[in-house]
Amino acid sequence: MSAPLTAPAGAPAAEPDSGAPVIQTSALSKRYPGPVTALDALTVTVAPGITGLVGANGAGKSTLIKILLGLLEPTGGEARVFGRDCQRDGEQIRGLTGYMPEHDCLPPDVTATEFVTHLGRMSGLPPTAAKERAAESLRHVGLYEERYRQIGTYSTGMKQRVKLAQALVGDPRLLLLDEPTVGLDPAGRNSMLELIARIGAEFGISIVVASHLLGEIERICDHLVAIEAGRLLRADTITSMTQVSQVLLVDVDEGSDELLAELGRRGLEPRRHERSLLVRLDGDATYDIVRDAIADLALPLNRLEQRRRRVEELFQDDDADALVTAGTGGGPSGGGGPSGGPGGTPEAPHVR
Amino acid sequence: MSAETGVIHDIGYRRYTGRRLGRAQIVRALYWHSLRSAFGLGRGAKAKIVPVIVFVIMCLPAIASAVAVANGNPRLVPYDTYVFQLRVVLMIIFVAAQAPELVSRDLRSHVLPLYFCRPLRRMDYPLAKLAAFITACLAIIEIPLVLLYLGTIAQSHSPHAIWTQTRAFIPGLLVGLMWAVLLAAIGLAMASLSGRRAYATGGIAIYFFLTWILAGILIAVTQRNVVRSATINPPPGARPPGVPATGPIKVHMMTQVPTTASHLSGLVSPFTTLDGVRLWLGGTSKGALPGVGGYGALYGAMFLVLLAASIGGLFARYRKAGAL
Repeated sequence: MSAPLTAPAGAPAAEPDSGAPVIQTSALSKRYPGPVTALDALTVTVAPGITGLVGANGAGKSTLIKILLGLLEPTGGEARVFGRDCQRDGEQIRGLTGYMPEHDCLPPDVTATEFVTHLGRMSGLPPTAAKERAAESLRHVGLYEERYRQIGTYSTGMKQRVKLAQALVGDPRLLLLDEPTVGLDPAGRNSMLELIARIGAEFGISIVVASHLLGEIERICDHLVAIEAGRLLRADTITSMTQVSQVLLVDVDEGSDELLAELGRRGLEPRRHERSLLVRLDGDATYDIVRDAIADLALPLNRLEQRRRRVEELFQDDDADALVTAGTGGGPSGGGGPSGGPGGTPEAPHVR
Repeated sequence: MSAETGVIHDIGYRRYTGRRLGRAQIVRALYWHSLRSAFGLGRGAKAKIVPVIVFVIMCLPAIASAVAVANGNPRLVPYDTYVFQLRVVLMIIFVAAQAPELVSRDLRSHVLPLYFCRPLRRMDYPLAKLAAFITACLAIIEIPLVLLYLGTIAQSHSPHAIWTQTRAFIPGLLVGLMWAVLLAAIGLAMASLSGRRAYATGGIAIYFFLTWILAGILIAVTQRNVVRSATINPPPGARPPGVPATGPIKVHMMTQVPTTASHLSGLVSPFTTLDGVRLWLGGTSKGALPGVGGYGALYGAMFLVLLAASIGGLFARYRKAGAL
């Protein structure tokens, strides 16, 4: 009996190797026949936590997810999930991973309970455990009595929750969520994002959220990986990307025109940005000048803060400074960032 | 915005620490799930109508035979063909109605990515579906045969009589197995081509019915009509009216003689192909074919070609349709 007590080869959901990064790719490439390159020498490491995978439609997000699940063979390089090779150990990786597809994938004529229970069985849970965990997962995503109704009667938001519940049912160590907020109205988006944030923070599950709406997922992510045309654009923590910039944001309830003129007279170069004014920060003196100007004009000051960069700005061609000096000419949301959502989409919600 | 923004109560997340099943057991779970859905189990009453009616009607000849045997008559139905036409019609209905239940629904709702992102391998899905549907067809075909057998031997009092029945019964089971395997494979392969249930059902029914009718027509028109003449000399009492009371009479009889073409006509339909294989392997009861001449092996080959094409088509379909 000298054999080490390792998990049997058939156990698909063995504990992930501790210490290994959640996801690691090196020079990962995927070329389709013809001139299509979906991934181009992508090297990226994803640490535990919530990671946003951002890129425009067609940037290679879905291709990356398929390779990570071991369903697609890369044409070059390698990918590892929890230290396991995606091509060789796809089965084990799939046992550790929950996947929420972008597109509709729910049969209309079964109840959510039946459906998630069945998929729990397909994740390798014994019958009783599948039932229990299906009920729990549906509760976690906020479906209670509705879960006994046929899925065809659900709203889009509820369907998204069922899709999330089926990804959770097998107790994954990693969730791959492909555009989880697609098709939801603003309130539905918010509650879905809160739910994802909560799963990441409280359930101890690492999450990769693929989205083309950067402004949306930056709120909930610890890390961000941006890809464009199959190549890594930038990978970093959110905090390092949204570091404090040398720009002071001044927000008055009224009289911003007068303040603009007054600050100009006092030697600053204020620029209008949406409803606020931006001033280049040059030491404490700048604060004093702004304070005095507002006090002299007797304007109601609403906000005075050092502005954080929004991640979205990082993906635009001009840097944050250029943005400030560019002044009123458009503002960041009009730029060529990775947007493209449907009309009325809150592409750049307020940063906390 | 009512239900979907429901409050999320904090019930805490619990890790699953229990047993996990391996891939083989997951495939088995999918097999059982698919087998149940082939009979509409776990679904509404409407889903059970076709399987139940088909099964009950299929059993009627066996029950009738059991009653007849109990009253001292011989067994009514042969084991190797059962009631051929009835079996054809019922199997067409069953396969056309239930094969889409197993595969078209998942295609329609794009559920497949949810299977393939789990430990299953890509080919496990069609494998489980095929095994389940073969089992379902076996149940529909063989259970009536078993009833027929039991109803017959219940009245057999000697071991020899029981042995005679058993020897006829076993080839009948094997013929049923061939039917189940071939019809299930063709049905699933065709159903997997369409996510629309109505199209899948219609396609299967039309293919089965049309080829069957075509085979029947071809067999009929390719047989040669032969006039046979004979001279007979019946005794006076047995002579039909209008013929002389004495002396020999010349009579002409028209009979149909199978030709090479009619021997081959059965190859166009899966059902007549199955019947050809049965005759080739030594079946004796009258089925759909007048005979296979010396072409029995061709029927065997046709059976294998149909089977290989169906299974190959089914698996190829999932190699492609599996794309997330």
